[in-house]
Amino acid sequence: MAVITIDGKCLTVPDNKNILQCALDNGIYIPHLCHHKDLNPLGSCRLCIVEVEGREGVTPSCMLEAEDGMVVHTKTPEVERLRILALELLLTGHPEDCSTCPKYGNCELQQLIQYVGPKTGRMKMRTKGFKTQEENPLIIHDMNRCVLCGRCVRACNELRGVKVLQYQKKDMETYVGTVHDRLLKDADCRFCQACVEVCPTGTIRDKLADANKKKEDVVVPCRHACPAHTDIPRYIRYVKEGKYDEAAAVIREKLPIPKSLGYICTHACELECKRKELGEPMSIRNIKRYAAEHDSGSLWKGKGKQLPDTGKKVCVVGGGPCGLSAAYYLRKQGHAVTIKEELPTAGGMMAYGIPAYRLPRDIIAEEVQLIEEQGVRIETGTKVEKPVELLKEYDAVLMAIGGHNGVRLPMEGSSLPGVILNADFLRNASMGKETGMGERIIVLGGGNVAFDCARTAKRLGAKEIHLACLEAREVMTADDEEILQAQEEGIFVHPAQTFERITGEEHVTGVDFMNVESFTFDENRRAIIQKEEGSEHHIDGDTVIFAVGQRPDITPEAGLELGRANSIAVKDMEKDKSTSVEGIFAAGDAIYGTKSVVMAVESGREAASQIDRYLGGDGDISEVLAPVETANSYIGECKGFAYLERKEPLVDAPEERSDNFRLYDHGICEQDICAEAGRCLQCDLRLQISAPSLWGDFTKATGGAEE
Amino acid sequence: MRNLSREELLDKIEECGIQEYGLCSGSLRGRIGEAAAKMEKTGGQGAIVCALNNADLDGILLDLLKDEPEKVMNGIDIAALALGAEKKTLHIPEYAQHLADDAVLTEMLGQHQISLEVGIVDVRADAACLLLHLVTAVELAEAFAQDAAAKACYYVSVNGKKLQRVEGSARIAELADIGDAKVLRLGYAYYPAEAAQLTVAEARIENGVIAVLPSGECIVRDAQEQMTASRKQSCGKCVFCREGLLQLQFMQKEIAEGRGKMDYLDLTEEIGSAMTFSGMCTLGQTAPKLALSAVSSFREEYEGHIRKKKCSAGACFSAETYYIDPKLCTGCGDCSDVCPQDCIEGKAKYIHMIDTVDCGRCGKCLEACGDGAVVCTEGKLPKLPNRLTKVGKFRR
Repeated sequence: MAVITIDGKCLTVPDNKNILQCALDNGIYIPHLCHHKDLNPLGSCRLCIVEVEGREGVTPSCMLEAEDGMVVHTKTPEVERLRILALELLLTGHPEDCSTCPKYGNCELQQLIQYVGPKTGRMKMRTKGFKTQEENPLIIHDMNRCVLCGRCVRACNELRGVKVLQYQKKDMETYVGTVHDRLLKDADCRFCQACVEVCPTGTIRDKLADANKKKEDVVVPCRHACPAHTDIPRYIRYVKEGKYDEAAAVIREKLPIPKSLGYICTHACELECKRKELGEPMSIRNIKRYAAEHDSGSLWKGKGKQLPDTGKKVCVVGGGPCGLSAAYYLRKQGHAVTIKEELPTAGGMMAYGIPAYRLPRDIIAEEVQLIEEQGVRIETGTKVEKPVELLKEYDAVLMAIGGHNGVRLPMEGSSLPGVILNADFLRNASMGKETGMGERIIVLGGGNVAFDCARTAKRLGAKEIHLACLEAREVMTADDEEILQAQEEGIFVHPAQTFERITGEEHVTGVDFMNVESFTFDENRRAIIQKEEGSEHHIDGDTVIFAVGQRPDITPEAGLELGRANSIAVKDMEKDKSTSVEGIFAAGDAIYGTKSVVMAVESGREAASQIDRYLGGDGDISEVLAPVETANSYIGECKGFAYLERKEPLVDAPEERSDNFRLYDHGICEQDICAEAGRCLQCDLRLQISAPSLWGDFTKATGGAEE
Repeated sequence: MRNLSREELLDKIEECGIQEYGLCSGSLRGRIGEAAAKMEKTGGQGAIVCALNNADLDGILLDLLKDEPEKVMNGIDIAALALGAEKKTLHIPEYAQHLADDAVLTEMLGQHQISLEVGIVDVRADAACLLLHLVTAVELAEAFAQDAAAKACYYVSVNGKKLQRVEGSARIAELADIGDAKVLRLGYAYYPAEAAQLTVAEARIENGVIAVLPSGECIVRDAQEQMTASRKQSCGKCVFCREGLLQLQFMQKEIAEGRGKMDYLDLTEEIGSAMTFSGMCTLGQTAPKLALSAVSSFREEYEGHIRKKKCSAGACFSAETYYIDPKLCTGCGDCSDVCPQDCIEGKAKYIHMIDTVDCGRCGKCLEACGDGAVVCTEGKLPKLPNRLTKVGKFRR
């Protein structure tokens, strides 16, 4: 250790630590630009110069190593004169007008100008005349604003080891760029965006900026898009390293049913994945599936949180993903939890809605068993008619009853024999019961459930299947994958159709349709449909399946206030899930309508936390299962990184899969999984980079001691 | 020497008293010691980086690679052994890139396992590198070959002529014909003619340059050219070198072209003197000395340019103006082919035009024109085309 004095303040610092960092770490601000805490000192901007007693001249403090007895002055007249001159020179190659810069108000250089106060008007100002490079995905380069602090070059080379950005020179003008000014994707950029993060000016910027969102959410959009905020980049990194137990533990910190989700999650994360700007997004769901399938459980089995018993009893009505999740976390908080499930097994829509060819039933059973092993009691075949009565026995009740009533559109012929509802059809099919289906099926609806119906009908032996929906093909709500696979299986898809009437006298004979010319919503969110004149046409069929939504199976007789679309009314969809009856909470599809399994899990987690608080707990259901470690930020070079193609899962051929309920999608194979995980941009590494030290932060910290 | 241990090598270097040549002065023994200490501290691989000073714009001393290549390489080898470093590189400036294609040189470098790099030395690259001047390498090789104390020597070239080895005590006047010249460029600075009485050592001619500016050449223009050459050489990382040189160049140019202000003299002084200690390498520290010495030694000349628009060399603000008579020009292009300033605009069958600002008034176009279209006048210019006009289409 060395004892040094900076501006009269005596500090004990490690030997050889650079003086600038010593000062900053001890609340003494020295202006600096090229210096960044995470990067090696460069000593080019000369703003951090100081005088050392007994030494001639000035020295940049970033290049000055602490020695015992050193006495440093950061504000002598000579230091300030040279600092002003340095900044004055630096600014001759920078645009004078800050107000048009996207970084205005958020710019380190602008703050330095305010602090140092350089002279103006003496020197030759110039515009460098570079063209703003906007052709790259994710990153904008405007070299006219660059002051050559070299942070991006060091971040790219030293911090990341990607070695794409280098100093270049053209016509005596130095700039930062790729060799031969290649586009980033052709220069093997890994799009980690570290350069954006360290740039102190508006030179290197994010293309996808959004001032209204939290920085973390914009930088790592996949994690933000996941309803449960699973730490996606973290588990992808573990999968890349072949550490599947660690990966699964990361997932399990947020999701108690990772395997099931690995098969059927609607993966909102993939829609937001930044990799899609370079081509196709990461195959996040399949990576999750691979991790969950190769997890030995060594990191979480019997290791997670389990608080001592509280003596409180909770009844969860409904054993779907929402109810299971809520029960699991409530149990971990120490409460005695009983799930009452109406159907013969737990799983809810996962078991009675989603067909077995997408989610094998043994997977659900396995995950349900783990939840039971945690101490949750599950009573199947128990329908709860009067939840209020449960309060006699339980301290709290959670209604997680999902939406098991299909919607029948009020249209001509909708009550004819041969008209079936989606929920009933899928439930009967799942239970091996008679579905009432004929041979020529018309499914009305364009979501994933509609496709589940159509493809289930196919597997049950229907001869001809048509699927029609109001939306145009591009805006159909079903996953593209579902639509394409259904078509491969011989299902006819008819987008942009209005359902005029179901025809038939005694029994369904078909449906009359018209083509939709345009389908929009007015300001009151009411649908406005323009039909194409004279486009009436008829499709023959003996069965019509409505797949236009489901509603909770509940009536006012249950004693709870109901809201829109027969949902259970809660005080606040997210923050307060209590119902009109004290002690009774509700969550999942039952409160917000049909969404997704992962939404249900998150809703269940939130409900668990709120119920725990209601029962006197702290509501903190978080747990740490995966090792807490800092990811390696040195990602290195990777040839052709931008061109790496998304690895596709192994899928059985249509003729092999469409006459049975066996799992047909086998996920990404062992040979491909590492490569797929390796495509990740690792956007989260950017959040590891230290924030800049700005003088404003110092004046605040020292209570305005700075003049 | 290969039989000597590292310690013995170091002792011998100490004994010979070899000093590092050029701008990074100091005893070679001491410098090797510093590099070795850094190697140990950082655990880095040491390396010998042999080069000219980054500030050298003329590359005169590169002739040593032609004249004494074996000595240069032996010197590098000895230094590498003394430092205990494996890596050896020889840097040549970008303006001397052609040396990289020299078969003899590259073969010798190969034999000595010395890699060649084009461009200035990156002083930030590795702290454990020992920077070795070409001349130091030669001196080191000689000291070991003759087994004698090193003899400090200077290599100079007068007005770009053949490199010669001289004693430090040699007077400039003995080496160069000064004639009626007013300005000398010696080493890294300008001097008035009286400086011819200085010795080579006193004038610190560490880049080998003895240049006598002919009476027709203007110091302001020469200083501007030197600043431009320095900017070309600069890597552009340090603020003072990158931006300072640009400002210095700009101000010299403005002054030479009659747009100078008196403030420029103070500003040249302010920026130039700050630069001498604000750059990382000798380029940024030394290049401003040319501008500083020009302004301080030839202040009258500068003031004449600024206040009276007067250039004593007659290179700036000439009363003579060259122009091309648009009635006589046939658009043949002979004039623009010979123009050394490349300041005649035109294309085939179009009337050619002389840019009077850039024109050096050399008169070559006048001689080259077969149609007598180029005119030299001290009077007012007639009306001339201001954009490209086809021959015969110009109307007054």
